[in-house]
Amino acid sequence: MKSIFLSAFAICSTLAAPAFAAEGERISVKGEIIDTWCYFSGVMGGPDAVIGTAHHTCALWCSAGGIPVGLLAEDGTVYMVMKIEDSSDSAGGDTQLRLASHTIEADGMLYKRDGLNYLVVEEVVSDLDIQLQNHEDLGTVPPFAVPKADR
Amino acid sequence: MKKLFSLIIALMAAPAALIAQDFSEGSKAKSWNLYAEVPARFEAKVVDILCELSGNCPDNCGDGSRQLGLVRTADNVLVYPNKNSQSGFQGASTDLLPHCQTTIEVDGMILDDPDLGARNIYLLQLIKPAGSDEWIKANTWSKRWAERHPEAKGKGPWFRRDPRVKAEIEREGYFGLGLEQDEAIKDIVFE
Repeated sequence: MKSIFLSAFAICSTLAAPAFAAEGERISVKGEIIDTWCYFSGVMGGPDAVIGTAHHTCALWCSAGGIPVGLLAEDGTVYMVMKIEDSSDSAGGDTQLRLASHTIEADGMLYKRDGLNYLVVEEVVSDLDIQLQNHEDLGTVPPFAVPKADR
Repeated sequence: MKKLFSLIIALMAAPAALIAQDFSEGSKAKSWNLYAEVPARFEAKVVDILCELSGNCPDNCGDGSRQLGLVRTADNVLVYPNKNSQSGFQGASTDLLPHCQTTIEVDGMILDDPDLGARNIYLLQLIKPAGSDEWIKANTWSKRWAERHPEAKGKGPWFRRDPRVKAEIEREGYFGLGLEQDEAIKDIVFE
């Protein structure tokens, strides 16, 4: 009887664990620094429209406005970026603003909780600048990104 | 023995039931016509997400520099507010900071879109602070920005006047590839 109770407790604990704890895992990942709201919400169109050069100005606006930045990996996984090297200014910090739309190679700690991937970047191994040039296909997203006076 | 097995099955099913819980009851959140939006009103504790995950915990949830999360009372799920209620490009941490480490009630839209990896992403619209009966709008970002940037006072939306955004565009252009390329791109895009 005691063993049945222990088994039941173990099963329940295992099932509940992701909601109550986050354990870090060291990873290396390469991807583009994106603004997560535009990507997840679809407010500006599909996921292909809110990355790269076409969306760069909007990515700056979102980053400066304190919208969380993410790292969109080559396999499509999104990592919510919580810290970049010494900068934990994840709500509008200078480092993430400077890296908007850049593709970076990062080493850091991955924390998974409640369906999201959270990344603490310990080292930006390489900053490859903006890689995706999609402006010829998409123009600017949103269309008003470049003011008429500057066109 | 049969009762015992029933209890075990019930305990095993409990987390799944919590995950599937519907938080739309009583919500007064406004639709933004987003593909995956679902109204969600719930009680939650305001946390510094980096602290919650890694134990790196400065005073006052980072004093506005960090992203803040909502640990939902009903199921301990960490909900990530990505956006406040203002139209434009503002996050939600400014609105949540005054409530750091307190338990509040929130109303808004939750986004779950497995195709994009979006889980427990939140559009924060309303906050009912601890001990209050009144809802307040999550719309304070632009006011705080104006207080921080009196030199940027002027007409038009904040993102056209933000000193850091302007500096980036002056340095790298609207498409981020440098000023020379920017002019060439504009000739193509706006021909």
